[in-house]
Amino acid sequence: MRRSISLYGLTFSLPMLIWQLVFFVAPLVFLIALSFWTVKNFKMEPDFDTVNWVTMYGRSVFWQSYGLTLALATAAAVITSILAFPCSFAIAFKLSPKYRQWAIFLMVIPFFTSYLVRVYSWQIFLSDNGIINGLFAQVGMGPFPLLNTVFATMIGYLTLTFPLVVLLQLFSLIFIDRTLIEAAHNLRCGRIRTVFAVVIPSARVGLVIAALFCFILSFGDFVSPVYLGGGDPTTLSILITDTTKSGQQWPRAAVIALTMIATLLAVAFAAVGFAYKGRTK
Amino acid sequence: MQGNALVTFDGVIKRFGNFTAVQKLDLEIHKGEFLAIMGSSGCGKTTTLRMLAGLEAPSEGEIRLGGKPINDLPTWKRDTPMVWQSLALFPFLNVIENVEFALKMRGVGATERRRRAGNWLERMQISEFSERNISQLSGGQRQRVALARSLVVEPEILLLDEPLSALDAHLKVRMQSVLQNLQRELGITFVYVTHSQSEAFAMADRVVIMSKGVVEQVGSAQEIYRAPRTRFVAEFLGSSNIFAGKVASDGTLETATGKYRLPRDVRGNASKSAATLVVLDTRSYLSAAEPGPEFDRVKAKVVGEEFTGAMAKIYLETADGSEIRVQSGYDELADLPMSTGQELYVYWRPEDGHVLPIA
Repeated sequence: MRRSISLYGLTFSLPMLIWQLVFFVAPLVFLIALSFWTVKNFKMEPDFDTVNWVTMYGRSVFWQSYGLTLALATAAAVITSILAFPCSFAIAFKLSPKYRQWAIFLMVIPFFTSYLVRVYSWQIFLSDNGIINGLFAQVGMGPFPLLNTVFATMIGYLTLTFPLVVLLQLFSLIFIDRTLIEAAHNLRCGRIRTVFAVVIPSARVGLVIAALFCFILSFGDFVSPVYLGGGDPTTLSILITDTTKSGQQWPRAAVIALTMIATLLAVAFAAVGFAYKGRTK
Repeated sequence: MQGNALVTFDGVIKRFGNFTAVQKLDLEIHKGEFLAIMGSSGCGKTTTLRMLAGLEAPSEGEIRLGGKPINDLPTWKRDTPMVWQSLALFPFLNVIENVEFALKMRGVGATERRRRAGNWLERMQISEFSERNISQLSGGQRQRVALARSLVVEPEILLLDEPLSALDAHLKVRMQSVLQNLQRELGITFVYVTHSQSEAFAMADRVVIMSKGVVEQVGSAQEIYRAPRTRFVAEFLGSSNIFAGKVASDGTLETATGKYRLPRDVRGNASKSAATLVVLDTRSYLSAAEPGPEFDRVKAKVVGEEFTGAMAKIYLETADGSEIRVQSGYDELADLPMSTGQELYVYWRPEDGHVLPIA
């Protein structure tokens, strides 16, 4: 009985299926094919040659960039999660439902403005004669190099992912059964310890998913490393644009893109596996 | 039972905004007793328990545990473990880790912890599930885990907030005897909050009946059943017929339905002009013919009947619309005409009546 898919259910899932086929599976298949094409005299030709894979994977620049991007995205996921947690914890447990709604609304507002605009406005703050160094100059310090650093890139990642991470964390914290927290207190677990012993384990799925989203967004981000990080060091997204610009090497760019997709899939599966570990419901 | 109070509520008041959940509570809970706090929802029973656990702070008054004031002691510094209605077991820990939790918080070493938790699982007969997830257990097994988790620290007092309400009737009765045996073996104090009269009366040494934040009566199940103190208690128990009226100069009670003699030994209670007489439904009888002069009686019409095996409960209505209940053996009712609307005499011995101390 279970095997026969009902027409009703199919009708409603059809748009989703079509969307996935047209915008995900088809481009992915094309990207895979593209990675085996060759470029001759700045013109791409359909082919089946592994030369692009061999070339890219043979370059230390690629692996440096890969390692760096992985490290930056991991750092962004960890730092954002840690900074976001007190915020989402306070909204979930310290605010009354009315103020909580306002806080959620405030977290949504950043999405109204283009990410690019928000990153550009950071330049005004971070540049050598920007607002922050201007304040330092008032007390006779600086200027400190803030723009075009890893620090600035990280600020860009935070700008991109912080509100989303707070929202995702928040929705897992809100649904924690409050009696579990009371029970922990009742069994001699102090306030801070309860956060680690009960709140975080209870919200584990949501916290991991939030960190995963931060990782995915940061890993593929192009805007922050270029406009705040100054394009140096080179992340994979920057490497892709460089590759396409230099001699129409779209097939090589496809190799980078596919490696990124494979990495994200592996990380996503590992994260979800970790999130649901030991759950048999 | 004087001088062995483990817990003392001294003029405790709890307000939530404009709402007063508990009004001026004075109550002593004795060492080693099984105390049930009973009442309908919103009567303040759970708030009372939560104040004792430190999950709510009293607005006024003082709570003492073992003679020491505990008002300002946070819940994680009290030894007042509680069993929740929802049980509140940690779903991210397995059975033995749940039981170990409180020991871990006290800094008990890993081997010692496992040994003591293991002993409790054995005692509660759930050793075989020690590595299971909470979601894989039945309701009764979870109940046992929750008890083990609270008792593993060997407290002087255990608080229980309607822990059996989620169980089916059969399991409830079994867990009742588990709880009762446990309390006797351990000799510690159990404070058990419930809305169920059968649970409270079956297990508790003393029962506290609360209504609207006020204690209506404290006593053993028998005392409360035989001699309710207030009209609320009599109505809440639902096992008595209640007649309110004025005391006449000849010492009888004049009500809308007739004149009744007051029991001699408690006539002093009816010194005020108004009095309320209650008669247990098991001490009220039915007959078609007028009963003898040694009985008091009221005429009432049958409105319904409820048979429970050998016993039957007959519901009647008097001329002024008040409800009368008679509980009787099935055989004794066999000869009576029992169709709805049939008028019968309900009668009782005046000495079986009880006058409420507070009318």
